[in-house]
Formats: sequence, structure tokens, C-alpha cells
Amino acid sequence: MRNRLFGFAIAAAVALCLASGPAEAQSKGQAFTASKTWNNQPDLQGIWQPAKAVDNLEKGGFIKDPSNGKIPYAADGAAKRAENAKNAKSADLVNRCNMPGTPRLMYMGYPFQIFQTDKYVAIVSEYSHTYRMVYLDGSPHLDFPGTWMGDSRGHWDGDSLATDVINFNDQTWLDKAGNHHSDELEVKERFTRTGPKTLLYEATLHDPKTFSKDWTIRVPMGLKTGPTARLMEHECQDLAFGK
Amino acid sequence: MKHALLGLAVVVGTTIAFVSPVPGQDGAAPQGKGGGKGRGGFGRGGGRAPAEPAGPMGKLPDGHPDMQGFWTPPAITDIEPAPPRAGRGGAKAAPKAAPVNPALAATGFGGGGGGNRIIDPPDGKIPYKPEARAKQQDIVQNHMADEPELHCYQSGVPHSESNQFGLQILQTPGYFVELSEFMHTVRIIPTDNRPHIDSKIRLFQGDPVGHWEGDTLVVDTTNQNTKTWFDTSGNFKTEALHVTEKFIPQDKNTIVYEATMTDPDIYTQPWTAHWNIGRNRQTAMSDGHPYEQMEFGCIEGNTDLEHYTEDKGGKKPLVVGKKAN
Repeated sequence: MRNRLFGFAIAAAVALCLASGPAEAQSKGQAFTASKTWNNQPDLQGIWQPAKAVDNLEKGGFIKDPSNGKIPYAADGAAKRAENAKNAKSADLVNRCNMPGTPRLMYMGYPFQIFQTDKYVAIVSEYSHTYRMVYLDGSPHLDFPGTWMGDSRGHWDGDSLATDVINFNDQTWLDKAGNHHSDELEVKERFTRTGPKTLLYEATLHDPKTFSKDWTIRVPMGLKTGPTARLMEHECQDLAFGK
Repeated sequence: MKHALLGLAVVVGTTIAFVSPVPGQDGAAPQGKGGGKGRGGFGRGGGRAPAEPAGPMGKLPDGHPDMQGFWTPPAITDIEPAPPRAGRGGAKAAPKAAPVNPALAATGFGGGGGGNRIIDPPDGKIPYKPEARAKQQDIVQNHMADEPELHCYQSGVPHSESNQFGLQILQTPGYFVELSEFMHTVRIIPTDNRPHIDSKIRLFQGDPVGHWEGDTLVVDTTNQNTKTWFDTSGNFKTEALHVTEKFIPQDKNTIVYEATMTDPDIYTQPWTAHWNIGRNRQTAMSDGHPYEQMEFGCIEGNTDLEHYTEDKGGKKPLVVGKKAN
């Protein structure tokens, strides 16, 4: 995983002020009220990053539901995962610098920056400058299947940004361990501020072709702060294929 | 139309040579054309013919100009005027040659966009030192496999302001953000005039630091690497390059963009290029869905990543018209 390590090295070298660990601030009970943006939306803006990369969703307590922390694969899903894992070097397209899909982009370990306007929430990841646009204008999904990052439509649910993401291809994985999905995947996400320097990312995955029931990921994110905090650049294919 | 356009975004992933190395063919784009036929067209080549008088640019709560929205910069394939150059296919190219790629031109993107962009020095040429001009010529003759967009690289600065397919601007307190459709190129420009990052760090997009001078956003961009060009015609960079950019809101539908390049290593004097970035006037797709940028899968469809090197046959200069389609 030379590419990712390299990205981290740069990020570490420049963004000096990593926030305190995100887990700490999942404070007990007391709800945190996010400040508001120009458009009176809950302010999720900032540079966010998980405490560490989630390389295997089933290790580290990231699966909130079902309670056994395992992905509820249907049929031969687990066998396919094992096969994927065996061939990860070539079969995990992130190793070819492809877009990693949703939700993987959010927890694969690279920081991402959120920008909010009245109709758009841009989520810009350091990973290969991949960005997602979440449309808040009430527009329906496009009739256009097979994308890498999916088609994200969102709305505010209380202080949470709630999204609905469809139109995926079946080529992206959910993590480095080979966990997978089909092109019927639908992801419903929630982004919620939980403290001054913390944000909780949740994603519920619905994919009857792959899973026996819906299941939910939960990954806390920490805020990078300070005047030098910024996304660095990860030109993946140059690192992997450049001369 | 929508599906055709969507298809295009995908096709681009597998047709990586779409417009790139076609020096000498960039005639001026038609003015104010294409609004009903494709995605935009307004503002291409200057945007001097808006359908109706545009009012002033709006303001944000912080008092700065609101330049948000979808924009269609000219797709610049050669930042210098395009006299015929031997060996570049230019001998046959008339000043107003046909668009580079008819399929792209039909969308309103990617065709033309050249012409004289350099306002200083007055001859419209990059003031290269002789050895630097020789290097640029050598690149065009022998090293077009290094053309950055063939590698799905981000475009660098200022070419990020003149690549294909348009861009979206978002503004939030302290940031001016440009998200291009091409190669999901990103420019996150802080507007707080912060210090630059360490000069040892080299980036495709450089380190842009902005500040407001009245209604003009002034951006100082340093720290670029040497892997991007000013266009697709071999106009290269060194690490000493310093770019000072101005985004000047001329009216609601026009941003005047100006970039001044300083690099005493290869230029005899600083030089300034200038073009208009016009608002994309297509507000909806053909089915009424609000206009949106599409996902751009460049690297995902690029099976030639390992092959665009000189030892794999890339040394031969690309011939105009042979690589497209």
C-alpha cells in the first residue's frame, strides 16, 4: 500500500495539528449542537479524518448493526469476500487508483473536507482528489447507473446531514479485506456533529443481492484544526505509475 | 441529450487521447453559441455576446462577490498564438481550423479555445529564453507522451482554469473552491492570505493562497511540480514558477481571469495571460433535471497507464486526428 502510506506521510508532514482522538469526544449523553452556516444549516465544515484507516469493517467495532459486528452476507457472499481478499493486490481497484466508492471513501483513512452552500454539500477527499457532491436541491436521482461514487441526494434531518446514494457499479469494495456489494447497493448516510472536534459518520447498506438484511457502519471522525490544517495532494496514478 | 452527455463522460474514461495533443488547431470558438445544443457554450472564447445584459455579480453575506455556480472556461490547447509549426500538423491548420474533436465540439466543450491569450508581452508569445524555447519545441516533437492529461493528471495552474468540461465554484467563509469535471480536479483556495507551505513540497495543483482586493480575488500559487503544462502544447514549467492570478467579476455571467507567470530560470520577463470564464448558461438537462457535473472516470478507463512512456512506443509524436475516436 505504498500509495496510501505516501499520502499519509505528506499529510502528516504538513497538517501538523491533528485533532485529539475522535473516540474521546463521543461524550456521554449530552447532545452537541452544531453552529450554523450562512444558510442556517448545521455546520459540518472542516477537515475530517478517522482516527485510523478502516481496513476491515469487521475488525474494530465499526459495525453497529447487527450486534455481532459481522456483515450479514447472503448466500456465498462470505466466500466471495475470502476470494477477493486472496486476490486483493490485483482485484482491489484502489490499487489501480480507481475511485473507491461510497462509503469506503469516507473511512479509508484519507482526510476529507466538507464545504456547504445552500444547495450543495461538497465532500472532497485527499484520496486522488475524489470529490462527492451531495445535492440538497430536492432533485431526484439521475437515471444513470454504474458510477463509482454513486449519486448522492441529501437533506437535513435535524442536525444531521442525511443522504441517499444509488447508481453504483459492482466493482468497488467496502474495505481492503474484500468486503463487497452489487450494483443494487443503496447507501443511506448520516453525518452528525457530536462535539467541537468530532463528527459521527454512519452508513446503512441495503443490497438484497449481497446481504440478507440491511446493516450499519459507524465511524467517528476527528477534526483537523489550526492555521496549517489543509488537505494535501494525493496524485495516485503518478505515485503508482509515474516515472 | 442527457444520455448522450452522460455517455460522453464515461467514454472519456476509455478514450484518453480525446483532445489533448492537437497543437495548431485551436481556432477561436464561436461566440455565444451552443446554448441549445449542448452543455454550455456561453463564455467560450470570451463570452462577449450574452443574450441579454447581465447584471452585476451578487454578494455573499461576507460582502465578497458571489461567483458560485457552473462555469465554462475556454479549453485552451495552446496558450500562445498558433502559427503553423513544422512537424506539428500546423502547416495545414488554418487560423480558424475545425474543432479538434467533432463529438466534443457538439457538446459545446473541448473544441477550439485557443487564439492569443497572452496580453503581455504584446507579441503574444511566452518570453522563453532560447534554451527553454528549444526545450518546448523538443517536447512537442519528441515527448508528447508526457502530455499531462494523457496520464489523467490534474491540470496545474493556470491550466485548471482552461481545461475541458467546465467547473463548479463554491464559496464558504474563508474558501474559494473550484471543482472541475475533468479528472475531478480540485482547487481549494483559502482566502485568508496564509503563508505558503514548505517550498520542498511539490504539488500538481500547487499551493494557492488567496486574498480579496476589493471585488477581485487575488491568488498567489507556488509549489507546483514540473509535470503539468500551460496547455497541451508542451509549454512546460519549472519549480521556480510563481503564478499570480486574478479572478475579476465583470458581471453576473463573466469572470475575467488573469494569470501572471514569473520564472527567471526560463523566461526573460514575467508574462500575463488573460481569458474570460463564462457562466454555463445551461441550467437544466434535457429531462428538466437541474444541471450537474458528471462523474469523470479518467483513470478508471485508462488501460494505457503503463504504456504512455517513451520506451513503450510513446516517443513517436502523436499525429493530429489519429488518436481521437
